[in-house]
This record gives sequence, structure tokens and C-alpha cells, in this order.
Amino acid sequence: MRQVPNIAGIGLVLFFAAFPLVYTGGNYDYVMHVLITGFFYAILASSWSMLAGYAGQFSFGHMAFMGIGAYGAALFSHYFHLTSAPTGVCTEFPLFGNWLVIKNAIGVTSTTLTQDCLQQAIGQWGDSERVWRMPVLLGIVLGTIAGGLSGLLVGLLVLRLRAAYLALFTLGFSEIVKAVISAEIDVTRGQAGLELPALFENGVTVLGTEFSSTDKIPPYYSMFFLLLLCLLILTWLARSRFGLFVRALREDADAAAALGVNTTRYKVFVFTITTAMAAAAGAVQAHYVQIVTPNMLFLLQMSLVVAMAVIGGVENFVAAALGAIFLQVMLELLRTSFSIGGINVDMTTWRLVFFGLLLMVVLRFFRNGLIAPLIDWFTRAGIAEETIAKRRGVGAEEAQP
Amino acid sequence: MIHLKVTNLHKSFGGLHVLKGINLEVNGPELIGVLGPNGAGKTTLTNILDGAITPSSGTVYLNGQRIDQLQPYEVARAGLGRTFQVTRSFRRMTVLENLYVPALALGHVNQGRALRERAMEVLEFLTIDHLRNEYARALSGGQQKLLELGRLLMLDPDVIILDEPFAGVHPKLMEVIYAYIRRMKSEGKAIILISHQMDAIFALSERLIVLNFGEMIADGKPEDVKNDPDVIEAYLGRDEEEDA
Repeated sequence: MRQVPNIAGIGLVLFFAAFPLVYTGGNYDYVMHVLITGFFYAILASSWSMLAGYAGQFSFGHMAFMGIGAYGAALFSHYFHLTSAPTGVCTEFPLFGNWLVIKNAIGVTSTTLTQDCLQQAIGQWGDSERVWRMPVLLGIVLGTIAGGLSGLLVGLLVLRLRAAYLALFTLGFSEIVKAVISAEIDVTRGQAGLELPALFENGVTVLGTEFSSTDKIPPYYSMFFLLLLCLLILTWLARSRFGLFVRALREDADAAAALGVNTTRYKVFVFTITTAMAAAAGAVQAHYVQIVTPNMLFLLQMSLVVAMAVIGGVENFVAAALGAIFLQVMLELLRTSFSIGGINVDMTTWRLVFFGLLLMVVLRFFRNGLIAPLIDWFTRAGIAEETIAKRRGVGAEEAQP
Repeated sequence: MIHLKVTNLHKSFGGLHVLKGINLEVNGPELIGVLGPNGAGKTTLTNILDGAITPSSGTVYLNGQRIDQLQPYEVARAGLGRTFQVTRSFRRMTVLENLYVPALALGHVNQGRALRERAMEVLEFLTIDHLRNEYARALSGGQQKLLELGRLLMLDPDVIILDEPFAGVHPKLMEVIYAYIRRMKSEGKAIILISHQMDAIFALSERLIVLNFGEMIADGKPEDVKNDPDVIEAYLGRDEEEDA
């Protein structure tokens, strides 16, 4: 009985691993896109679940860290290039026989060719010199590190903040990140956004099958494996002393400290690791959609992640991830408008009402979500009976002369 | 050899002078009762000893190490453990997990069979082993008190501060707590017992300290302290006829 969640988990992994290969229904690219987005939100919801549900740190800045990861990758791929010769007009450094070129920030302009230093150099070189983009994977790694370091900094700043104060601080941080990105038009191109290369810009060949840069299968598996990696790390952490200590931190930080737990270290660590995961998801998503804009940091996006985690079950990161995938799919299914007795119901707007109602019902009647209690029911099966039987045993022993 | 030395400890909150020059020395395994009316400064003294708050002035040394500027987790690792006046179990963690926290925090044992066996031994001693897999929130108030004591057994400190361990506890469970305190004493621990339960504190303590308005008004054997006029006055008030 207690193995049911593990078996179901393996089943789900196999299902999602096989799905793109066996799905033969219509709208293939659209269905894959919905699932890729679902996996993206699943990483955010599960990492937020570790932060809020396990460690009790109710941060509303998770999307800001996702944004830092996305913009980190975007800025890196936009500004950094390798060239075979110095441009003479850009900031540049020699690097292993080539040149690391950092483009100048020109913001949103219609005269890119004359203002962009690299474009000027390419114009002069013609085909005589080579220019390379930086590796996408390196951008993702740097975006992840940028998000993690930001999380470390925020974790240090919020050490003494709890509950509503922590939520407000992180909300403020999130708004500052969005405002800075919007304001620094020269660097970030503001609302115009920054374009990025695709995850596999030149396509990819796997087991003899070639995929183009627009095929959905490579990004599907990229996001899916990133989700699995995050869930594996979270599982390992939850089962280690780290998981025990952050849950103690959630329950009572003072009592945990009085028992020898370095609460500062674990609070900062949980911030760093979960924000790095959010940043990694953001960086991969940025390369998948190939554009980043400040809109991805809207408060509504954060609310969506919180709702996904709450509906799945905030105290169980697997449930939170499943809740995210379930909600993402459901929100798409609910887009189909219909008529009742001649009245047209435009589901493109009403679906959000259904979503809100579901959230309200869950918060009122299922405090730990819809999926987490199911997992709990299976994993704790028989414990109450075991306790009663043991107590009866003790009673019987005491009754004996 | 356990040696706790508190010297000229003061604590003020704004204009309120809560502790006024407390001096205390504990040598070896002692069982010290601390009495005092509400507002006497007992909890403030406990919070300073365990590092939750820092004193305005004065020093605290434990086994030669100054601990009054340390963080609570460092104080715990230095060898001082405490329970809380209002029970603070980790409610959404199982009973066993509650016990694992201090043992793993101090690195006494690693996760595995040895840790579980040690925790089970503690739970059996405290007669709550049948609840090992239950969430702490499912335990009664008295059982949660026992769980807090169990965590201290896993922490294994030199000095133990028990803040109101008998409050709201069923007489049967009180016997378990009595046995716990005696066991700790026999294992060479120094125990500081704060309680309003006079019967319990006089039955157990070898030495009694009385605080009143932040000052230590008595420190001695229970039978002597019991008849100390200052203590009687602090608890019963001054006889107006006598004043006249």
C-alpha cells in the first residue's frame, strides 16, 4: 500500500517520457507546447513548494528569480560573442586564440546596423572573419548561477523576516527586478524584449533522427529532464538532514535553533537552491520561447505558481509539480467556448473564473491541496492501526499480574 | 566537570529593568529549582542562558567557554539544552522525526539504524514509543511535554533547563517526568528546574533559587529557602499588621 505513490510516480514518468513518441492526436505542436509550459510551471511550483511548504518561507519573489535566470541567459547570448579577429570598436578580450566580444548596449533603435559595434565589424569583414554565438548551455548555467546568487543575497537579507513581512519584502524585490528590467531600456530593450536563439539553434540529431530548431520534441525532453533533475534533487534534499531541518525551521525556528540547528544556514541554503531551480527553468524557457520581456515577471504569474502549488499540495513538491501540470492542461482545455440555450459562454475569459473557484474550494476544504493528501494517505497507510495495536499491547502488558 | 557561571547579569527592555545583577554558579551534577512569581525574570534568565536574547551586561560561561554572545544553536552545541514553557514540538513532523532533529544537528549519529535505535530507546523510556510514527500534533499536551524531554535526551547536553515541565500534565505522566529528571541527574547532568508546582520543586530540588523583580532573593537548600522571610514575603506578601 505504501509503495503505491512510488509505483504511480514511475508510471507517470514513463507516461510523460513516452508521450511525444506515441501521441497521434491532432495539434501535435500545440499539445507539446502545453506540456512543455506545464513542465516549466512544475519546476517553479515544486521549488516554491520546497521553499514555502517545507521551509515555511512564503516568498512571493520566485518569478523574479525565474526572470533573473531568463534575463541572465538572454543578456549573455545577446551581448557576448566570439570572433576570430578583434573588432576594434567593441569591448573585447583575447580568449584561446579568438576574441571574446561584448557588444555595446544600444536599446531599441531602428539603426541597429550603424550603432551595433559587432554589426559594424561584420559589415567591414564580410566573410573574411568568423563570428560565433556563445553556447546556449553556458547561458543557461550562468542564468542559473545568477538566480542562485540573487537568492543567496535575498536569503541573507530576509533572515529575520517572517510570515507577512517576508512575503512583502520578496514582493517588493520582485517589483524592483521588473521595474529595473523595464527601465534599463538601453540594456534590456524594455518592453520590446530580448530575443534569444532556440534551445537547439542548429537542430539536433538523436539516435539517427534529425530534429530542426523548431521541432517540439527536443525542448519537450529538455524541460522534462530539467523537471526530473529538480525533483530528484528535491527528493534527495527532503530525505536528508536538510529536509528534516528545514521542516523544523518551518514548524518553530526558535525551537530548532535551541536543538542545535543552524537555522540561518538552512534558511539561506533553501533560498539559494530553490531560486537557482527557478532561474534554471526561466533560462531554459527563455531559449524555448526565444524572447524575454518584463511581462513574464507579472504578479499574476507568481499568483499562478502559488495557485498551482496550493491546488496540488504545497507541503509536497511532487504534488505541487503535478498540480502545475494538471492546471496548465486544464486551463488550456477550458479555452473551448460553448453555447447553452443560445447563450455563448466565452471560455477564454470564463476559464479564469473556474480556475479561481477551484482555488477557493481547495483553500476552503482541502488545506493541503488535492494531490498531497492522496500521497499522504497511501504513505501513512496503517500507521493509525499500528499505533492503536501497540497501545493495546502496552495496556495488556500492564494489566497482566 | 560541568561548570556554569553567571556573573552580574543585567537585562533591560527599554526602561524596564528585568534582571538586576544575577550571579549564579553551578558545579557538577546539581538539581536546582528556580522559583519566582510571574514577572520575576525566570524566562528572561532562561532565554539569556540559551542564547535567544543577549544580556545588557554581565557574562555567562559554560565549561570555560563564554556563551552569552553565541547564537542559540551554538549554545546548544556547547552543551546547554532547554524546554519551553509552552510546548514547542514540531507539530507537522512525526514523533521520531522530532527526535532525529537534535541528534543529527549535533552530528552525534548519522541517519540509519543507530539513530532509530537510540530514538526508540528514548521513546520507550518516556512510554510514548507506540506513537513513534504519529505526527506530533496528534499527541496530547502531556505527551508533547514528554516529546520535548525526549528531544533533550537526544541532544544530550551538560546543562538542562526545564521550563514548567509539569504544567498541565496528568499525574501519571508526571511520574515519567520525575523519573526523567532523576535519570538525567544520575547521568551527571546539571538540571535547572523552573516550575510553579511547589510540591514537585521541593521534592526534586537539592538547591533552590528564588527570583523576585529581577533580583535573586534566595539561594540555598530548599528547607532553608522555604523559611526565608524574603521568600515568604515575595510569595505571600507582607503582613500589614506586622508593618504597623
